[in-house]
Parts: sequence; C-alpha cells; structure tokens
Amino acid sequence: MKRNTIVIGITILILATFAWAGWANWMYRKQAAERALASASTAELIPAAPGDVPPGGASLTGKPAPNFMLEDLSGNKVSLSSYKGKPLLINFWATWCGPCKIETPWLVDLQNEYGPKGFQIIGISTEGDDLKPGDTEGWAHDKAAIAKFIKQEHMQYPVLINGDSLANAYGGLDAMPTSVYVNRDGKVVAMQLGISSKEDMEAHIRKAMGEGQ
Amino acid sequence: MTAPNMFSRSLLAAVLFAAGLPIAFCQQDSLTSSPQKSVLKSHAVEYLYPEQVSVPAGKPSPVTLHFRIQQNLHINSHTPRADFLIPTSFSIPETSGVKLADATYPAGADFALPSDPDQKLSVYTGDFTIQARIVSTPGNHLVEAKLRYQACDQTQCLPPKTITVPIDVIGK
Repeated sequence: MKRNTIVIGITILILATFAWAGWANWMYRKQAAERALASASTAELIPAAPGDVPPGGASLTGKPAPNFMLEDLSGNKVSLSSYKGKPLLINFWATWCGPCKIETPWLVDLQNEYGPKGFQIIGISTEGDDLKPGDTEGWAHDKAAIAKFIKQEHMQYPVLINGDSLANAYGGLDAMPTSVYVNRDGKVVAMQLGISSKEDMEAHIRKAMGEGQ
Repeated sequence: MTAPNMFSRSLLAAVLFAAGLPIAFCQQDSLTSSPQKSVLKSHAVEYLYPEQVSVPAGKPSPVTLHFRIQQNLHINSHTPRADFLIPTSFSIPETSGVKLADATYPAGADFALPSDPDQKLSVYTGDFTIQARIVSTPGNHLVEAKLRYQACDQTQCLPPKTITVPIDVIGK
C-alpha cells in the first residue's frame, strides 16, 4: 500500500511537471505568435533609400523597360518606344499622394537642368482606382484632379494617365511615388519606391545618362 | 497482472501522455500562428468594435466606433489641411434600415514628413474613434457601413481604400 502511494505520488508529480512544461511552452509560443502576427500586420512600406525597389521590381533592373501606350490629358496616345534612345525617368505618381507633391518640384528642376542634355521625365498618374474604360464620371473626376495638380506644380514634362494599367508590368505599383530610371539603351538602371531626396534622384538620372556610375 | 506491474504500466502511459502534451500544443500553435505576409494587400485600418449595438428605434442614438491603424502608417484626418488629400470619412448605405444622423471625428494630430518638415499634415495614427449617431428602424439590421481613408508612411502612400464596417444594429 505504501509503495502504491509512492508510485501514485511520483506519477502525479511527473504529470504535473509535464503539464506545466506544456502549458509554459504553449504560453511562450502563443506570445511569440502574437508578436509575429503584430509584426506581420505592420505594413511593409520599406523606407526609401537609394536603390530601393518595389516588390517584384528588382527583376526589372538591367532589363528593358516594359513598353506601354497611354494617353495624355488631351487624349493623345504616347508610347515608351517614342522616346527610344533617350535616358528617362518614368515617375509614377498620384494626385492624393503627399510625397509625390513634395518631389514634383525636384522633378521640374531636374527636367530643366538635364533636359537640354537629352534627358526626359515622363510622369504617369496612377490613381489606384482601377477605373473601367466606360466610367466617364470617374475619368472626368480623375482628369480634373490631374490637370489641377499639373497646373499647380508647373509640370512642364509629359504626363500620361492610367498608370494602373501598367501595375503588372512595373512590379505592382502598390505605393506612390515609384520612379524607374531608364538608360539610352532602354534598360532599367534603377528603381526607387517612395520619396528619397533630390540628390538621390539626380544620381540616378546621371547613371541613366551614363555619367556618374 | 501484479499490482506493481500495473502501476509501472500506468506510470509509463502517464509519462508518454504527458510528454505528448507540449507537442500537441506546439502543433496546434503552429497551425494558427502562421503570419500573413503580403501586407501591402492588407488593410491599413482595422475596425475593432462594436460588433452589435442595441438602440431605441426611431431615435438618434450614439455609437462609438473603434478603429486601429497599422504601425508606421498614418491616414489623413477628416479635415486634412490640403484639398488634394483624401479625408477619412464614415458612411452608412441608405438601404440598410439604419441612417447616419451625423458623425463626429477626432481632431487630427500634427505630422510632418521628414522630406518636408515645414509642411504640417493633420493625421490619425494608432487607435482612433468616430462618434456616430444613428437612427434605426425596428428590427435587426446587419449594417455594412463604410470607412474611406488613404494611408501613407513617411516616404510613400497607399491608394485610397474603402473598408466595410459591419455592425449588427438592433432597433427596439
């Protein structure tokens, strides 16, 4: 009887130890999972830095910039291939985008400075509303906002609309602004997600022009 | 079977069972805790609560709606300082049996982007609430209210979004 009591006691002790270990392990993993979920729910808008690329955009660097045919506000069709042989900055922006508003004056200055050397900026409005072709009211609203932005910011370079249609070709275009730098051979030399600085943009432009590598 | 043998076997079974407990917990945990990536596709703003409210039918009744903005992001307040920015706004579809009498939004906090420290924006970050007053017809209504917002971090912006705010409104 005494032996049985000892065995039962030891059994209970071992069970309790394992149960405690299991519970502690579960709690630890639960907290780790919560931390992981909290981390995962943080938007991964990666701080912009020289050479930043949008998700999927890395594969574009060193490759030909995907061709496109878009309209400007007057309805004229403009293709990327019409700029063949020119170093380019394709700047995807949106009217509701604060950082785009900040960098636009830099773009105007850079176009003025490097335009005479053959460099060209192409602005592409990418409003993120995925309007259908027949949505006349939606397009009219967008075009009015784009025209207002262009006028306010004195944008002297070509601005095209419906950048949303290029999302797949240009790495998703999940966030604005996104800048794609293209050299004279039509190859992408750098991509920049988000705003960085005028100096960074200038460095990328010089790289596209084949000046400072 | 002798008593000692029986106890030895019981002991072994108990040890094996107990040893399996942590493994079982871990397996369950690993199934439920796989973090969801592709966060750019997820919503920057999450509706927290209430899921259900009970209000007197036909009378404007206050409802406090709680939202949470993802870390490192901000959204424009209801009254952004520039007209090109998209304000945060709450609405209820007219066909839901519940009307939005009015909504009171929190004041935005001052925020400046590092690349333009002089330009102050009016934004919400973290948790925020909207004080709505609703008028319900009698009965149960699963209202799919809407919150429209536009989110940015310090260098870039996500497209404007409209999320559904589901509220079970019981008009008595």
